[in-house]
Amino acid sequence: MSEKTGKHIAIYGKGGIGKSTTTSNISAALAESGYRVIQIGCDPKSDSTTILRGGNDLPTVLDTLREQSKLRIEDISAIGFGGVLCIEAGGPVPGVGCAGRGINAAVELLQELKLFEEFKPDFVLYDVLGDVVCGGFAVPIRDGLADRAFVVTSSDFMAIFAANNLFKAVNKYAPSGGARLGGVIANSILAAYAPALIDDFAEKTGTQVIGYVPRSLVVAQSELYGKTVIEAVPLSEQAQVYRNLAQYIDKNKDSVIPKPLNSPELKKWAREWGDRIFDVETGVVHEMASI
Amino acid sequence: MAHHVEGSRNSCAQHGALQLFESIEGVIPVIHSTSGCGVQHYLGVTRLTGGNDPFGSPPVSSSNIAEKHVVFGGSSRLREQLKNTVKVVRGDLYAIVTGCSTEMVGDDIAAMTKEGRDQDWPVIYANTPGFSGDVHNGYHLAVKALIEQLPGIWQSIGEKQSRLVNVWGIIPNQDPFWRGNLNELGRLLEGIGLVPNLLIGSGQGIASWKQLPEAAINLVVSPWGELPARMLEELYSTPSIQLQGLPVGSEAGILLRSLTEQLGLDPLRTELFINREEALLNHQFARLADSYYRAGFQREFALVGESSQVVGISEFLGKYFGLLPRSLVITDNPPDILREALISRLSAIVPGYDTEVIFSEDRSEITDVVRKGGAQLILASSLELDVAVESGVPFLAVSFPLADRIVLDRGYAGYRGATALLEDIGSALLAFSNGRYAC
Ligand SMILES: Nc1ncnc2c1ncn2[C@@H]1O[C@H](COP(=O)(O)OP(=O)(O)OP(=O)(O)O)[C@@H](O)[C@H]1O
Ligand code: SF4
Ligand SMILES: [Mg+2]
Repeated sequence: MSEKTGKHIAIYGKGGIGKSTTTSNISAALAESGYRVIQIGCDPKSDSTTILRGGNDLPTVLDTLREQSKLRIEDISAIGFGGVLCIEAGGPVPGVGCAGRGINAAVELLQELKLFEEFKPDFVLYDVLGDVVCGGFAVPIRDGLADRAFVVTSSDFMAIFAANNLFKAVNKYAPSGGARLGGVIANSILAAYAPALIDDFAEKTGTQVIGYVPRSLVVAQSELYGKTVIEAVPLSEQAQVYRNLAQYIDKNKDSVIPKPLNSPELKKWAREWGDRIFDVETGVVHEMASI
Repeated sequence: MAHHVEGSRNSCAQHGALQLFESIEGVIPVIHSTSGCGVQHYLGVTRLTGGNDPFGSPPVSSSNIAEKHVVFGGSSRLREQLKNTVKVVRGDLYAIVTGCSTEMVGDDIAAMTKEGRDQDWPVIYANTPGFSGDVHNGYHLAVKALIEQLPGIWQSIGEKQSRLVNVWGIIPNQDPFWRGNLNELGRLLEGIGLVPNLLIGSGQGIASWKQLPEAAINLVVSPWGELPARMLEELYSTPSIQLQGLPVGSEAGILLRSLTEQLGLDPLRTELFINREEALLNHQFARLADSYYRAGFQREFALVGESSQVVGISEFLGKYFGLLPRSLVITDNPPDILREALISRLSAIVPGYDTEVIFSEDRSEITDVVRKGGAQLILASSLELDVAVESGVPFLAVSFPLADRIVLDRGYAGYRGATALLEDIGSALLAFSNGRYAC
């Protein structure tokens, strides 16, 4: 493995929970304060960096690799907002081949191309596909590629479940040099009980929430313009929330090995919260189905 | 199974399938996997079977997939490899076997096979990743592929032939004496008026396999022949006769008598044939008598091999030749339901004598059992030569892997096999009494 330059951060979370939006806004905020940033989308959907690049097309590492054996960094990267270097690992046609191994191969190739030595980033952010389904998707947190992992979650049970799975993976790999957990990012905060629920989960698993991102129309609007909130509405409150997250990741070096709940514990915990929410504000329970 | 096996003599499923396909004339195997699979098959299997290795390097067609195919899928590589193989090597049947990597990725082998068929190429496939089991399971998978897929290529099924016998359960190369054993079984069947369908070896091609449904009976000589027999019973109502091991010496006569009864053959002809064979074998015993007593042939022995060999050889030596089965090690992991039966059968070979029966494929465990048993003759694979030398007892290599013997058509089954066994064990004992190892 090539020598590591800059801080390497992996962002995980359930599918559709807001990983790419959050990661891109953090990248934009870090770039805005003068850092050199690389964002690598580790997801066959290859839409991680879209809002950093105004929605333009970017050939993925694997698509390019499929066509040509020799490739250069210029072929597979684009400069986005604030100079963020955007890369999409890509993947095979759905239902064919092994996407996990694909991400592995793409990241190895980036190292071979001496991407980090050449670009000299202060931060490298890996935006990794949904749930940790198999060893392939644990690549960024295995083998010490990333120093810290963050998980994005809402107060939705399935999102918490995915976060807990990530904790299991971190717990497994951290002792042998894998990434440790930097903390939990609470996203799409709308319901009044949501922060308390996520706080409680963090406490139970020995970790902490590093920021609460409200559910906001500004995010959707910016996305329609193909932009991050930082770029589209820099003076908004929402932009400030992302800046605070970026600042936390920059300044705070805390990390832990989380203590994931086992399935009966997790189910019991969820049921207790279900009862509590139902008692306090009847009806809210149904909203849990959406983020 | 939560322990690691040292020096295993049971290679992976893919290799079991390859062994079967390679031993049928006109069948061209195509490996769809990483390049190491074919090489490992040559180095770790075929080269250690007493001269059954193909000349030079392993001449097996292989798609040799690389990382690119793991990531994006390797089906198109297989398509290309199949096309090239058909162009370069003429065969009656092309048989695709897969490996660990291509099965993990989930390449659609059935679809590639169908594409081949659509071009009128005779193609079948077997999913044989190493993680699906060992060499015995590979034999199963290959046989299953042939039984299930051949009718899709050649529809016609002929009439039942009242004398035709399919022979199952001998895994080529895993039994280094497979050719000789099959030839002898064939000779015995012919001797009582039957027509053997040996399915593998010289002269055995796709025509033999097309005849499968026509057979009057399936003869099964190891636990690994039960699956094909069961399939053929379900598909074509063919009955079967099942032995737990190779019939060696007079056990062959017992088999011939029950076949005669089951198939309504002429009992007189059978008895005449058996009498002639028995007389010849007795004649050999008599000629051996002097050496037998001079070199002290009668002694305790250890035997390490597949269940069919252990049953056949140890019963012959124990019941008819006066040797004592001390430690019997069965290495082919027969199904659990068979183990009890094997233990009670083998421990009763010499009534009142204590025979130890062990199931293991672990080299160090086997070595321990053989060493502690203290037998004065070791019949095993080349992996046990060391413990024989260390214990200072005579040794004969009879099971896979076989590093120091050439086996062309020698076998230990039937009457002739019994004679061959007497020659080989006799030579080993005689050489040893003169202070040498024979082989
Ligand atoms: N805080 C928020 N407020 C409003 N909308 C949000 C917020 N966070 C994310 N979204 C919206 O949710 C949708 C999904 O977000 P995003 O694509 O970032 O999720 P993801 O976790 O990367 O999904 P995937 O797993 O599919 O990659 C997007 O349309 C995004 O605009
Ligand atoms: S175990 Fe798997 S990888 Fe190894 S030779 Fe067998 S099929 Fe190939
Ligand atoms: Mg995403």
